[in-house]
Amino acid sequence: MADITISDEDFLKFREFFYRKTGINFEVNKRYFVDKRLIERCHATESVSFRAYFTLLRFEANGKELQALTNIMTVNETYFFREEYQLKSLVNSILPEIVARKRAAGDRSPIRIWSIPSSSGEEPYSIAMYLLEYWPGIALWDVEIIASDIDTSILVKAKAGRYSARSVSQLPNVLLQKYFRPIGDDYQMEVDLRSSVEFTLVNLNDPLTTRPYRGFDVVFCRNLLIYFDDTSRRQAAEVFFDALNPGGFICLGHSESMSRISSLFKVRKLADAIVYQKS
Amino acid sequence: MALIKKSTLPTVATELSVPVSDFASLCSILQQSPSANERHRAARELGAFPEASAVLAARLPLECDPTVREFIISSMLQIRDEVTVRSLIACLKSQDAGLRNEAIEALKQLPTEVGPLLSELLLDPDPDVRIFVVNVLESLRYPLVEQWLIQVINTDPHVNVCATAVDLLGEVGVKDAIPALQHLKLRFPDEPYIQFAADVALKRINQA
Repeated sequence: MADITISDEDFLKFREFFYRKTGINFEVNKRYFVDKRLIERCHATESVSFRAYFTLLRFEANGKELQALTNIMTVNETYFFREEYQLKSLVNSILPEIVARKRAAGDRSPIRIWSIPSSSGEEPYSIAMYLLEYWPGIALWDVEIIASDIDTSILVKAKAGRYSARSVSQLPNVLLQKYFRPIGDDYQMEVDLRSSVEFTLVNLNDPLTTRPYRGFDVVFCRNLLIYFDDTSRRQAAEVFFDALNPGGFICLGHSESMSRISSLFKVRKLADAIVYQKS
Repeated sequence: MALIKKSTLPTVATELSVPVSDFASLCSILQQSPSANERHRAARELGAFPEASAVLAARLPLECDPTVREFIISSMLQIRDEVTVRSLIACLKSQDAGLRNEAIEALKQLPTEVGPLLSELLLDPDPDVRIFVVNVLESLRYPLVEQWLIQVINTDPHVNVCATAVDLLGEVGVKDAIPALQHLKLRFPDEPYIQFAADVALKRINQA
């Protein structure tokens, strides 16, 4: 196989295309990361040059190669109970407020939580565990957790529920023993917990895939918007606005701020975390 | 009660009374519906129509609901044509401070489209507009930003426009700006802030 190189012009052309399709924008300092993965996909598809690969990418009717490329371009590193203060905030402040509002309205419908990006499942399963272990309201209310990602291979991994020791290292031992069993060096999540989360494929930049997502009370979207540019962040904020019920909450990563993205949400300083709320 | 899982997501209940492909009806809803929810949804769907920029631009200064305005601006940012840019620029002259700020933030996201118009805007007779334009320059990653700022502090007659520009020049400037900064101090010898800000900018540039 001939050596394939990515020129400056190729990089810029690809960057523009990938941004339009996914909302993910690669700065020039990510060049090595992008080039390496593009060349990998050129080889995997037996494309003789970047140009040939780019033609395949743009004109392939079923979009399979675009999905494969998206899968390797997205970063999927997380662990259980990451940024635990937000999970505490969920059970100590957010859910009690949502429950009080539902009670006042005579609404007994399930509480709905959307975790996006789900990555390999650590976040949505952490939410599920936290509710089961630390929120007494779970005895009185149904909760539906939907977890979404743009990466099909990571969704398969999430559904399988098998994790490395590093992934579970922040879990209290008692929960590790309760919800997992060791398999070699890994840990397998027990089936009941796995079946409590619905995993779906969503591209935040594609209105066709986000349109069904409505009626949520809480959205967790942590450490995703940092990969987006200003326009895509704004569009994502609007997807969440439409997805949330009035008064619904959104939790972002610790380095992210909705105030710098959109004025659609108001800042709420809760006891354990700063979150954003739809008016 | 428990964690529950539904096998499929519900299909969306119809949010609008017209198909999302019906351009004329969406325009009509945006312009006339008394429901802010309907207007925001119409504004969102209109982002998919390149020909919608004039309708969105016309509605923006009239729209009182901040949520609808956010969605109008987002759709305009998707379309990003000249009508969009010109109408956002027109908002810089609005008496509504919220709308002015929203226009500044939106223009900052259109560097390629705004760039060719900046020379013209920096000559606008209204000094407030020129100040807003300098604010927009702040975040434009455009190769001529520094030259424009130098032009402002060399020629703009309004002290507040120059003060805004000199602050920014201190952050982005290089040695090319030194003569203009020295000239600025001579143009406004009785303005303490200009003297202070120009000295700070000169110090930063010399230390860089």
